[in-house]
Amino acid sequence: MSDHAGLREAEDDLLPPAEWGREPASPGSRAAWMFGVLAVVLVGGRIWLAPHVSARALDAWSTIFVAVCVQALPFLVFGVALSAAITVFVPASVWRRVLPRRTGAAVPVAGMMGAVLPGCECASVPVAGGLMARGVAPAAALTFLLAAPAINPVVLVATAVAFPGSPEMVAGRFAASLIVAVLAGWTWLLVGKGEWIKAPSRPRADPAAGRLEAFGQAMRHDVMHAGGFLVVGAAAAATINVAIPADRVDAVAGIPVASVLLLALLAVLMSICSEADAFVAASLSQFSTTARLAFLVVGPMVDLKLIALQAGFFGRRFAVRFVPLTFVLAVSVSALVGGVLS
Amino acid sequence: MSRAAQSMLLVLIGAAVLWITVGSGEYVNYVRPGFRYLLAPAAIVLLVLGAAGVRREWRGTRDDDHPAEHGHDHSRGPRVAWLLCLPVLALFLIAPPALGSFTAARGTGRTAPPPAAPTEGFRPLPRTGAPVAMSMGEFIGRGYLAQTGDPASLQGVPVRLTGFVAPGVKGEGGWRIVRLKIACCAGDAVPFPVTVRGLPRPPSDTWVQVVGVWTPPATGRSRTVVQAVRGRSLQKIEKPRTPYE
Repeated sequence: MSDHAGLREAEDDLLPPAEWGREPASPGSRAAWMFGVLAVVLVGGRIWLAPHVSARALDAWSTIFVAVCVQALPFLVFGVALSAAITVFVPASVWRRVLPRRTGAAVPVAGMMGAVLPGCECASVPVAGGLMARGVAPAAALTFLLAAPAINPVVLVATAVAFPGSPEMVAGRFAASLIVAVLAGWTWLLVGKGEWIKAPSRPRADPAAGRLEAFGQAMRHDVMHAGGFLVVGAAAAATINVAIPADRVDAVAGIPVASVLLLALLAVLMSICSEADAFVAASLSQFSTTARLAFLVVGPMVDLKLIALQAGFFGRRFAVRFVPLTFVLAVSVSALVGGVLS
Repeated sequence: MSRAAQSMLLVLIGAAVLWITVGSGEYVNYVRPGFRYLLAPAAIVLLVLGAAGVRREWRGTRDDDHPAEHGHDHSRGPRVAWLLCLPVLALFLIAPPALGSFTAARGTGRTAPPPAAPTEGFRPLPRTGAPVAMSMGEFIGRGYLAQTGDPASLQGVPVRLTGFVAPGVKGEGGWRIVRLKIACCAGDAVPFPVTVRGLPRPPSDTWVQVVGVWTPPATGRSRTVVQAVRGRSLQKIEKPRTPYE
């Protein structure tokens, strides 16, 4: 749970604190805890880390860190621009008109519709909330939420650029992500209960400030949210690249099940924007295709920032059920699809 | 994070990316050269977006009663966005150099697979005795073909290789000339090493041009052996404009 507490601290102007129903720790005890953790990190770092850090290692770290940021930036900017254009210029009621009346049939259609929202996961959560608020069945809106960040054209093009000469990675990502999204939607339709979701109370209001202004506002918002997390992901990727001994990663990379689980877990922890994660996956070249596919499928559906966003929009009771469901589905489906591909 | 701070941060990021792309050309240390066509427009979009925001703040036409959409107010950015300062600071203050022998040494356990020959095959080498300049990838590909097929295709032809110096591996003798190959960005760099024998070793990370002749690997070694040259001459050079292959 410490992850959740940490996230809440970083995001407390993003999430309403009341949602978390948590007793605020007194400032004194929190400071004591922070100090204790800091002391442990410093002592541990001095013993285990300091002998291995050299100027050349730091140089390599900063180069890879900047490289991942620079590489992902154009995709982030253009993805956010397209997403903002659709959010501002396409009213949400259009989505409802397009969807079939029967929810069971609406789920796969909503999944396919995810292919036309070129955004990252930060964009899809608010849009899914807006869809629910305008009467779209939750199962269909959730399928859209899962599919949109993974199978849209910007992400698929980024994946194709990151894996030159292996189109099966793009096809595998598309197929596995769509299957997971539809399965999750149908599962929610069968066993989900309405009261688990705290429907967003406020529908998206059209700002009176004019469309162009709203467009700029939406873009700025998405760049700020996604960009910050991208920096976290780039730092994590650079650290893994420089700090973890290659032979140890290679040892795990050789074990089929462990490597898939390790990369799935990394995808959750690193919280990389789906427009950029293909480049990080490509850099993990010692892992099998299946493991990297799991990284690409899990990342846009379950990660730390998404858990925080989902809990913020739909409530904690929703998140504790939906997140494990998605994670298990994503890992098993990508293992199956990866097995077919390789 | 206030809206003014967001806008100014966007201007900073856009300016930094535009500078390394069209100003200093440092971007080739991080990504492939072709990426400038994506980087420059993205930087301009960020600059325009930020400048529009700054201009609006300047004029004081803030709409503070702007309705809070879906649960949180859009006008305030999340604190995590401050992290976007880090890459900008790194670019301006550290100016991270191209990857070098540190990264090359980390990849010694796993050698990159030899690059495939072009579909029509490598062109036959001229037999004039003058050194033939070729990329490390091409040399390793030709070496692999010569090792598995016809050794005469490469034997006896002097080649000129360009790369940086890295220490050799025990039991191999000599030192290594290395060029890193990137598919997208420096995060996925794999080393293309060639062992150089018969020449004194310059300090690590020095950029050099080596003229040498391919030496066939000892028979019975595995196929993914590092190709080697018997060096004839060595010239120190400036770092090439594009440090990666």
